[in-house]
Amino acid sequence: MPQLNPEFFVSQLFWLVVTFSFLLVFLWRISLPRISNVLEKRERKINEDLTAAKELQSEAENIQDKIEQQLKKARSDASELIKSSSATLQEKSQIEISKLEKELDEKINDSSKKIEKSKNESVNQIQGQINEITKLTLSKVTSFEVTEDEIKNAIKNSERSLN
Amino acid sequence: MAAKGEKHSPLEQFEIIPFTRTEIGGYDISFTNSSLSMIITVAVITLFLTLTVNARSLVPTRMQLISELMYNFVAQLLTDTVGDNGKKYFPFVFSLFMFVLIGNMVGMVPYQFTFTSHIIVTFALASVVFIGVTILGFVNHGIKFFTFFYIPGVPFYMHPLLIPIEIISYLSRPISLSVRLFANMLAGHTLLKVFAGFVVAMPFFTGALPLVFIVALTGLEILIAFLQAYVFAILTCLYINDAYHLH
Repeated sequence: MPQLNPEFFVSQLFWLVVTFSFLLVFLWRISLPRISNVLEKRERKINEDLTAAKELQSEAENIQDKIEQQLKKARSDASELIKSSSATLQEKSQIEISKLEKELDEKINDSSKKIEKSKNESVNQIQGQINEITKLTLSKVTSFEVTEDEIKNAIKNSERSLN
Repeated sequence: MAAKGEKHSPLEQFEIIPFTRTEIGGYDISFTNSSLSMIITVAVITLFLTLTVNARSLVPTRMQLISELMYNFVAQLLTDTVGDNGKKYFPFVFSLFMFVLIGNMVGMVPYQFTFTSHIIVTFALASVVFIGVTILGFVNHGIKFFTFFYIPGVPFYMHPLLIPIEIISYLSRPISLSVRLFANMLAGHTLLKVFAGFVVAMPFFTGALPLVFIVALTGLEILIAFLQAYVFAILTCLYINDAYHLH
């Protein structure tokens, strides 16, 4: 077995010491500080970020509280405002309505008067035209000459019988 | 595979081939395939750990993450077993873990020499741990360190039996530590070569069967390469812990 041949024991020990010492010193002085540096830096960064996040969160909670309070206040204000304004509105509208009703009544009166008037006018006109037509018809169809008073009486009579 | 008719031993892969023949003060420091393997291992570790962390980015790249995971893995191992006292030994334990791990992994590359399969190398590493831990024990506890071999809460007539057992088990630590790694590497690589020999030796296409085994065994060997490095590191941690806490 080559392992038990002492020919190269010293050489192997020498190179082992050289290489392992170099490795130990190199890792100890250069590589490991670098890695631990990076790890520490990362840990610090994470911790900083975490504390910052916690602060931000508490800040956000405060703001949330403030917003909620403001909302509450705004709601109560609004409901009060609605109550008071609805009362005043009701009053105002009551006044408006009564005013409007009055106006409407007047207008209705006016118009009914106008209608009455125009009705009478038109009735008179129609009466006249009827008289005229009757007179003309009679004179054309028959040879009767009738006075207007006679025609009027006859129409009145017929109206009476119709009614 | 060399010339026809030559017998190939599965142990041939462990042969040390000197590239130079150098001597300083009567000591042989020939540069061999084993030395080359060690240098490749150290180069791989140092380059990887340096280049991947070069950017020092807060959000790591995949490669940087690997370095950080290795760092955290060993750091966790050390704090779990030794606690806060262990921080001082982190560079040593990390170097040891990486040296054995990457040494084993480099050995998995075909035609690469596996220096962890040589008992002298693993024994040297284990001895460093053993001697260091023993010195640490005496520094921490002075002469009281000998009470390490005295197990409290045992009937007094058991001590003549238990104390020698404790001493023997303590002294055999470097042997068990080094032989465990050495034997695992030796057995695994030998097994691979034996099956590789079957692939060549078996007739027609039946050689495909041992080839399948080689593929599976290679996966197993990679697992063992990691596991043995882990075991080496965790036992080192436990020994350091023993030097601080005597029972």
